Amino acid sequence: MLLIKTQRDTLLSPLQSVSGIVEKRHTLPILSNVLLEKKGDALTFLATDIEIQITTSAAAEGGEGDGAVTVGARKLQDILRSLPEGTEVSLVLEEKRLLVRGGKSRFTLQTLPADDFPRMAIGNDDAKRFSVTQKQFRQLLAQTQYAMAAQDVRYYLNGLLLLTEGKELRAVATDGHRLAFASMEIEAELPRQELILPRKTVLELNRLLADSDDALEITLSANQVRFAFGNVVLVSKLIDGKFPDYERVIPATLKNSLELGRTALLQSMVRAAILTNEKFRGVRLVLQGNSLKVMAANAEQEEAQEELEVEYAGDSLDVGFNVGYVLDVLNNVSSDTVTLNFNDANSSALITVPGNDRFKYVVMPMRI
Amino acid sequence: MKDEPCQLPDDSRAPVPPADLPAAAAAPERRIAHLDMDAFFASVELLHYPELRGRPVVVGGRAVDRPRRQADGSLHFARLRDYVGRGVITTSTYEARALGVFSGMGLMKAAQLAPDAILLPANFDAYRDYSRRFKAAVAAIAPCIEDRGIDEIYIDLSHIEEATLPLARRLKAAVLAATGLTCSIGITPNKLLSKICSDLDKPDGITVLGMEEVPARIWPLAAKKINGIGPKANERLGQLGIHSIGDLAAAPPEMLVQHFGRSTGAWLHRAAHGIDERPLSTSREPKSISRESTFSRDLHARHDRAELSEIFTGMCLRVADDLARQGYVARTIGIKLRYADFQSVTRDLTLAVPTADGAAIRKAAGECLKRVPLQQRLRLLGVRASSLLPAAAAAALPSPLVQAELPL
Repeated sequence: MLLIKTQRDTLLSPLQSVSGIVEKRHTLPILSNVLLEKKGDALTFLATDIEIQITTSAAAEGGEGDGAVTVGARKLQDILRSLPEGTEVSLVLEEKRLLVRGGKSRFTLQTLPADDFPRMAIGNDDAKRFSVTQKQFRQLLAQTQYAMAAQDVRYYLNGLLLLTEGKELRAVATDGHRLAFASMEIEAELPRQELILPRKTVLELNRLLADSDDALEITLSANQVRFAFGNVVLVSKLIDGKFPDYERVIPATLKNSLELGRTALLQSMVRAAILTNEKFRGVRLVLQGNSLKVMAANAEQEEAQEELEVEYAGDSLDVGFNVGYVLDVLNNVSSDTVTLNFNDANSSALITVPGNDRFKYVVMPMRI
Repeated sequence: MKDEPCQLPDDSRAPVPPADLPAAAAAPERRIAHLDMDAFFASVELLHYPELRGRPVVVGGRAVDRPRRQADGSLHFARLRDYVGRGVITTSTYEARALGVFSGMGLMKAAQLAPDAILLPANFDAYRDYSRRFKAAVAAIAPCIEDRGIDEIYIDLSHIEEATLPLARRLKAAVLAATGLTCSIGITPNKLLSKICSDLDKPDGITVLGMEEVPARIWPLAAKKINGIGPKANERLGQLGIHSIGDLAAAPPEMLVQHFGRSTGAWLHRAAHGIDERPLSTSREPKSISRESTFSRDLHARHDRAELSEIFTGMCLRVADDLARQGYVARTIGIKLRYADFQSVTRDLTLAVPTADGAAIRKAAGECLKRVPLQQRLRLLGVRASSLLPAAAAAALPSPLVQAELPL
């Protein structure tokens, strides 16, 4: 039975939207498959790793009837991608096989029954819903997600805190050495609610969201969150845990502050980083009078020194930082200048963007 | 002893020639001695207890086995047959060796072979003292010495203008005068042959050998006489029908390379032909500092956790002490385990920051311990600090940075 006959790209782009979360190796073989469901004039694509589920759809005129099947997501994607652009492709369901035809190529793929495919139960109990633009939310993620932990035993750090309160949406991420905070205004007015998005969900959203003013509808419930944008619906489970009190970590007042050109500082750091120890990546910042020196040395005792002219009248400072943590923030904000706020070499430094109190980055020094 | 190469300033000796045979054979001949003290520990004990001379004596007991003064003023010595425990023989006199008991053998097993042998506890302070004395006596005659441990040294005699045999006698006389002990010396063009030769006429012997005598005097010896051919390699050689050094010399080099790998194969071939270009290593810098201990009973990682942990920590602290006392820091910390079935494993860890700190050593050694199987009971545990660096040099390194944590 012919499921769909259409241009390659009509199938490939929705498939790519959902297949990012498909795990290469999984104990459940069906999870490496994508569910294709033809109903009327729509072909729905659905993939899941049990924690996250992504659905999208394509227009499917010209099929012969309704039907559903699951097939290896990676294989189907590889096949479609390697067919020439503009090829007309048809998917035909035959017994237990899926026939893919395009131009003079044909592929017969094994399938697993659609009924066996796990679907996440979509809870809708006392859910709270609000809408932002894709671009705004993507920016919120971009400003914070790099500070998430990756495989920390404190599992609640391997994700990103989303917090609503009144007309504000906040995002916080930390790996225990540095913390990134960003907030934005939303139109809806919501009660205070905290939830932790798993790391994989954040990375996937960052990949899928467009830099557009199109709407992103976010629905929060107790143990899952739903993101709907364009043709895509992404439902994710949440990390069940208590995120640390980030407000306690962000210092309120600091004695010294210094405004720096972001690009100049970034470039100095990139150069100095070449001669840092691969594992510890420490750079030394020496601030005295109107000079900021960035120094690095590696295990072979090779040394780098950069000097920036600054306008500064505060305390002298000789402090070490992991250069990666500094590069992360400089690479992920877009302002012309940044402000470095600090007390001394032993306590946390706060990096902010002048004229923007919606972004804060706290980084702990390396002790010399 | 100075840490300098053993060459005169005007020495025009060519650098070490490449590995092929003709070039190596063409190198100017050196004169290297290997001096090995005769049954060293046992001999030192006999100096203290001259009444035991001529009797089988083994060293390796514990303090409780120390001889006791009796009412009539004579000494009472412990007998091997009375020993109960897990100790091994550290050394034995030639009379004891004649009964079949050798270094490394378990004392209880030795007791079956020589129940009447006298057992003495090891007295390492005394051995170290005699070791220093004999080395100083040799150094007064020939200063270029490679220290190979408590009872043996290599000596480079190339630049001493004296005939070999009188010189060897003079060395032995100096050692005897300084310590009252005899030694055996092998003198040949290199370390490999000298090591073999010092053993050929033991005790109190002198063996001088030139390259031209290798076929006649070295080739008939068993292959395992070559220092570096251990029990495993010897067994594999035996399977290939190679038993004597002569067999090894006659074996096609390609065949050795095929069975033992390129570098070992080539080395076996060269060693069998008596070729060894290694210079003396006169550096006195230690390569590693370690402590190990065989338990009085086999311990289990889980059931004897508390006891094991205490021993382990104590050992790490002692290594830290040794490092500090000798002025070193270590970059690599390793552990050695021997299981109840005598299988041994080692693991090590290289630190970002060289250390002589007991807690840091304990932490690193603990990491190593996590990487070994611990189902079986343990017989021995050791901790080793290596990649040593003088503490002063380490202090001059750029100071390491330690990432601070957010107060989450």
